[in-house]
Amino acid sequence: MRLKAILSGLFCMLALLVLAGCGNSTSNSGSANDKVVEIEYWHVASDSFGGQTVRELVADFNKTHPNIKVTEKFNPDMYKGLTQNLQAALASGQTPDVVQMGWNFLNYAHENFETENIDKIFADAGDPNFIKDTFEPNIARLAQTDNGDQVGVPYSLSLPVLYYNPDIFKAAGLDPNKPPKTWEEVAEYAKQIKEKTGNPAFFMQEYADTWTNQALVESNGGTMLTHKDGKWQAGFDTPEAAHAYQVIADMVKNGTGLHATNEEGFQSFTSGKLAMVATTIGKRANFEKSSNFKVMTTTFPAFGNKPVKVPAGGNFLMILSKDKAKQKAAVEFVKYLESAENLTKWDTGTGYLPPRKNMAQEGPYKKLIDENENIKKAMEMLPNVTPWVSFPGQNGLQAEQVLIDARDVILNGSKTASEALHEAALKINDLLK
Amino acid sequence: MNRLSKSGYLLFLPAAFFFSVFYYWPLLVNVVLSFFSWNMVSSKIKFVGISNYTDIVQTAEFYSVIVNTVLFVLFLLIFNFVLPYIYSYILAYVLKYGKNLYKVFFFMPSLFSLSVASILFLWIYNPLAGPIDAILQMFGLDSPRWLKEPILVIFSISMIIAWKVFGYNFILMLAAMMSVSKEMIEAARLEGASDWVILRKIIIPQTSSSAIYVFVITVVFGLQYVMIPVNILTQGGPNQGSANLVYVIYQYAFVFYQVGKSAAYAVLTMLLFVIFAWWRNKVLDKKVYYEN
Amino acid sequence: MKINLKKELIGHIILIISLLICLWPIVFLVSASLKDLNQIFQYPLNPLPENPTLSNYFTVLDRFPIFQFTGNTFFIAITVTIFKIITSLLAGFGFVYYRFKGRELLFNSMVLTFFIPMSVLIMPNYLLISSLGLLDTPYGVILVEIVDGMGIYLMRQTMRSIPKSIYECAILEGASPLYILWHIILPLVRPSVISISIMFFINAWNEYFWPLLILKSKTEYTLALALPMFISAEGGSEWGLAMALAVLTSILPFILFIICQKYILNTFIQSGVKG
Repeated sequence: MRLKAILSGLFCMLALLVLAGCGNSTSNSGSANDKVVEIEYWHVASDSFGGQTVRELVADFNKTHPNIKVTEKFNPDMYKGLTQNLQAALASGQTPDVVQMGWNFLNYAHENFETENIDKIFADAGDPNFIKDTFEPNIARLAQTDNGDQVGVPYSLSLPVLYYNPDIFKAAGLDPNKPPKTWEEVAEYAKQIKEKTGNPAFFMQEYADTWTNQALVESNGGTMLTHKDGKWQAGFDTPEAAHAYQVIADMVKNGTGLHATNEEGFQSFTSGKLAMVATTIGKRANFEKSSNFKVMTTTFPAFGNKPVKVPAGGNFLMILSKDKAKQKAAVEFVKYLESAENLTKWDTGTGYLPPRKNMAQEGPYKKLIDENENIKKAMEMLPNVTPWVSFPGQNGLQAEQVLIDARDVILNGSKTASEALHEAALKINDLLK
Repeated sequence: MNRLSKSGYLLFLPAAFFFSVFYYWPLLVNVVLSFFSWNMVSSKIKFVGISNYTDIVQTAEFYSVIVNTVLFVLFLLIFNFVLPYIYSYILAYVLKYGKNLYKVFFFMPSLFSLSVASILFLWIYNPLAGPIDAILQMFGLDSPRWLKEPILVIFSISMIIAWKVFGYNFILMLAAMMSVSKEMIEAARLEGASDWVILRKIIIPQTSSSAIYVFVITVVFGLQYVMIPVNILTQGGPNQGSANLVYVIYQYAFVFYQVGKSAAYAVLTMLLFVIFAWWRNKVLDKKVYYEN
Repeated sequence: MKINLKKELIGHIILIISLLICLWPIVFLVSASLKDLNQIFQYPLNPLPENPTLSNYFTVLDRFPIFQFTGNTFFIAITVTIFKIITSLLAGFGFVYYRFKGRELLFNSMVLTFFIPMSVLIMPNYLLISSLGLLDTPYGVILVEIVDGMGIYLMRQTMRSIPKSIYECAILEGASPLYILWHIILPLVRPSVISISIMFFINAWNEYFWPLLILKSKTEYTLALALPMFISAEGGSEWGLAMALAVLTSILPFILFIICQKYILNTFIQSGVKG
């Protein structure tokens, strides 16, 4: 009967599909016997943010290193997506060799993904001092756990800066060449702009992370986490931290600050309605391209004359290979990526800042800085970079969510910063127990 | 009709197989995993007894998540059940012209993917540069923070779902309204019954089975749809203000990597849905008028 | 029925206003995709682009493998639709054709699955698909969606409405169940089957959450997945491109709807609401 024939055909198809799926997964593993070492590189660079550069770098590496073949794989949804994929890959035993890992996933990655000690990998590959020689101590420190274990190699740096619209500054009678240096000034400027234009004038990014909030807290002399009696505890239940949060909340409350989703805030800025945005230097190229005014940048504001401290965003490179030959190839590849020339390519494609020593003083990157005042401003802040606190333990990611939620409560005005932070601290201490 | 023959089993086999593997087996897996602590990747799986459940029930989060879920359901029922009901009544009994045109145009939004709808509304809701703000400004008003205020965020997300689903439900209700027996209504008119009486005694009872159907899909599908804008636009925020039962299950598993708690939430959610299904069967069906 | 002019007028005003509210997001979506980036947010209320341009579309087509996304989406949607229709037809027919002990139980156990919220199932199914090695393949997406409780319910409803005498005649002539289904029943219910297929197809085309978890590489992406990438990319949102892609994503369901409007609006709905 016809139906029977069709049905059996379809079930054969299904069986084939399943087989094809299995076939795919086995075909990758046969390559270890070849002379050429194949390694896999996982990254989060989307097409609009460095994807093209990754492809160029990998193609060039493969051409100049005939004994190594790198395949690159893009992971959508940033580091959350990448760790999800990584978990799946590890479970099925197919580990990538080099991965980009977000700074705030440092503890999580260190605790969950078994890797060989990176110092040993580099020593085995004949370059034990690579990390020390290539990075300033405060930068190398970014990819270390609190007890000083090096987890990976710093690669992409971003830090929060203040973007502003000089046209709105002028319209409000402010000098675009004298951007606000402190939060007090930011509040004053915002007030003046609001009076002149009627619009809110300041927005601080509201990603689902605590990056800029850490910048605020630490710049005001506070801390995010403290280590007490061998246990981690919330460190932000202090007047310094509360004041830092409250500054932003007050602006939102009196209508000079905007509280919205990121995309909404950035839209408002690029459409010329909002004067100031505090967010990552990684947004620079996009802002410059999509605004019809001259986007200007200044350093992240300070609290009075306290030193500014900004957490590093971006990523570091982890080497996950178990196989010696692959480890060696991975080191080769990492060193290639970290060369002054290739970092310049990568940073041009993305807008990240280079972690390598002396990039601002010599070589190809200096030329880039000389052409763009905005990058120069950001590079000035490199000595102020501190590690992005990542919450430890199996509840770490949930603990971070608690602090993200606290930000919403504070900006909403439904609780004062000190109340909300106190409650968040209790919850987080409970989670970190 | 017929006795089930051997080959008869084969008719049910494909469906039964896939339902068992991808619907019933996962429910079991959830129950088992809910007694463990696991992060989905590590080889360490720890048995923790019922502590996942006790942890959940002791947090305030659990109750606010339930309240949020109820609010979502309420908003969805207003936009996608009550409004379609009223509109279909107007179109079927008040108006004479334009039925087909309205049907076609009201249905159009339901052709869009919710990922398209979310992106579209993200722009519509922009409090400083969006179209709603532009309209409000003409009246000298400031735009509310659609996606950043508690409760308002639930309304805003429900609106996105409403936009997509309204037309579909509207047409389902309209079909039911149109199939009410014309003779009965005419007969009632001749006996001098008012519109109100006709609505209460004839239309509402005769459309009740469709109404129940629309009610159920509004709740069941609505809560599933909600996950998409929540994931794209708010990630459960502000302050978990848009987190609901179906979203936290995902959040614990794929954002916090706490499989045990996710499974425990899944089991609790499943229980609530079973109660809803049971209530529908026992209580609602009794009040329904069936044609046959 | 007499026409009450005043009521008619008020009714139309209410409906037309509501209709405008429903439709303006679509109008703005299309018009934004034709504006250049600066215009989109400059004049949010102006539906007519000043200098309409297709540049967003060209950029999207140039920079992103749109045809691959479309191919992936199409493959998943069509496969899911075919399998769902087959499983639903067979089981739906079985429930009408056979009478046996436990029939109601079996029927309910299948149909009530549509009460199960998807998010309850995703984590265990994710682990299952992962252990089958099907992550990052369209088969991982498809496999979970081969059955549909709603489909079985609708198929049974439709086939129930066929007079019993037709079944009885066929049985007297000694036809086998599959023969009856294929040659006698299917031609009678064809309109419903087509409209249910279209609904399955559009839903699968638009699906977001499950593919988001399963499909990891961009080469496997569907259109609905590709879209939010433009907005939440680390480099910043590209609204013009996103709007253009949104239009491209929605075109096929629209065309299908316009061609098969009658089926969708009449047949499916009538079969769906009875009982």
